Amino acid sequence: MVGERVYRHGVTARTAHWLWALALLVLVMSGLQVFNADPYLDASDKSDPHKRVLGFTAAMQNGEPIGMTTIFGVTFNTTHFLGYTDDGMGAESERAFPAWVTFPGTQDLADGRRWHFFFAWALFVAFVAYLISAALRGTLREMILRPSDLPKLVPMQLYYLRLRRDPPPHGTYNPLQKVAYTVVLFVLFPLLIITGLALSPGVDAAFPWLTVILGGRQFARTWHFTLMALLLVYFATHLILVLTTGMWNNIRSMITGWYTLKEHDGVGP
Amino acid sequence: MKRRLFVASSLASLGLSACGPIKDSLTNGPFRSVVFSAERLNQSVIGTHGMAREYTDADVDREFRLDSLDTPSDATYTGLLKSGFRDYRLVIDGLAERPQKLTLAELRAAGDRTQITRHDCVEGWSAIVKWRGVPLATVVAMAQPKPAARYVIFHCFDRDQNGQPYYESLGLHQAAHPQTVLALDLNDKPIDPAHGAPVRLHVATQLGYKSAKWVSRIELVASLAGTFGGTGGYWEDQGYEWYAGI
Repeated sequence: MVGERVYRHGVTARTAHWLWALALLVLVMSGLQVFNADPYLDASDKSDPHKRVLGFTAAMQNGEPIGMTTIFGVTFNTTHFLGYTDDGMGAESERAFPAWVTFPGTQDLADGRRWHFFFAWALFVAFVAYLISAALRGTLREMILRPSDLPKLVPMQLYYLRLRRDPPPHGTYNPLQKVAYTVVLFVLFPLLIITGLALSPGVDAAFPWLTVILGGRQFARTWHFTLMALLLVYFATHLILVLTTGMWNNIRSMITGWYTLKEHDGVGP
Repeated sequence: MKRRLFVASSLASLGLSACGPIKDSLTNGPFRSVVFSAERLNQSVIGTHGMAREYTDADVDREFRLDSLDTPSDATYTGLLKSGFRDYRLVIDGLAERPQKLTLAELRAAGDRTQITRHDCVEGWSAIVKWRGVPLATVVAMAQPKPAARYVIFHCFDRDQNGQPYYESLGLHQAAHPQTVLALDLNDKPIDPAHGAPVRLHVATQLGYKSAKWVSRIELVASLAGTFGGTGGYWEDQGYEWYAGI
């Protein structure tokens, strides 16, 4: 089995994967551009400084401008990184997120919104197409966490921490991978789409209960931002594991579809 | 492994430093019109359906944030303001069978709707405000739009620093929405000058920039192309979406 080449990712899955990568990159960066226009998150319906969860401002301190980040009422000096940052025009100014993480780089709410909406559609279409294709091919079953995986979660974590010699026997994906993929596909993606839609006054008029269940429109904005942060945590983990568990094999399999089985790798659900 | 991580991080930092020029060429390149086409998709999928949530007096923000061009300071507007808008006339013309010139009293008499709705700014903030005024549909109907009329354009008293006037527009379907009102009162008082006195539009189903302040004239037109930048609004001419339901 070890060394055997298996066709792991179909063409729809591979296309969807790289489209998601591109779309999510643009969505995060254009989202931060949009966020910069009013860099506050409240746990409320209307804007309410008393229910502020996160906020970025600039101020003067000893004649020098500083950037400040306030999380749950606790303020940190984050000059140059958050609050008072690179404006993309060779200077620094009052700006929550710096130009190098926003799209477009310079302050441009109108374009930021347009790119955000275009790639939101791209993500949505690729997501639905992938789910249908993966369900039909049967590969979705290999990724979804099932009750029999639960007892394997701790042993798998121990293996990653090098406290256990072998991982528990598993199929194509190990139980922790299944947790990650299940959460991303069935929790993060759908909730990102729903909380994003709740920010639209047109959608809110058609479905007034949407902001109600999310705790209000500003709360929906807070959820949307939080889910983005969770997705970035997933992305960092994903990247580290791709790089450290057979980088070329992993990357090649997502380009050509063919994957070479390593020790402990299984096949199937 | 360390070497690989070093290569990866070097590539990443190289990518970041090249980002500025890449971003510039993307935002101004031919892909731009493709990106802009998402607006049509948003409009056809979301559109103008249902009713915006209405709130109670207890939810109202007594201090409604100002976020617009400055209050007009030209002779026409200040003259009207000094006389308590006695000589103000709301003009409704263009492709109309019966163009109108309405005094504030006539406008008040034309219809009466009160709504407490959430005002969502394109920048991100929201406020809850009480509006009272006339449904726009009533006023448009008084002017009897000709069959060719497809849009209503709102001409306003305010101008930016370059002298560019503010204006906005809605499709007739959006104009007919019951929560699209020509507001005369804000939080139980006649609208103050800074918030758009004497008449401002309020579009409850779209973002705040559609809700034009200081409305002086409503023009019925067949196309938006002939007015100012041709995209149907002051902010639209600067790249914002005409359909602001998202």
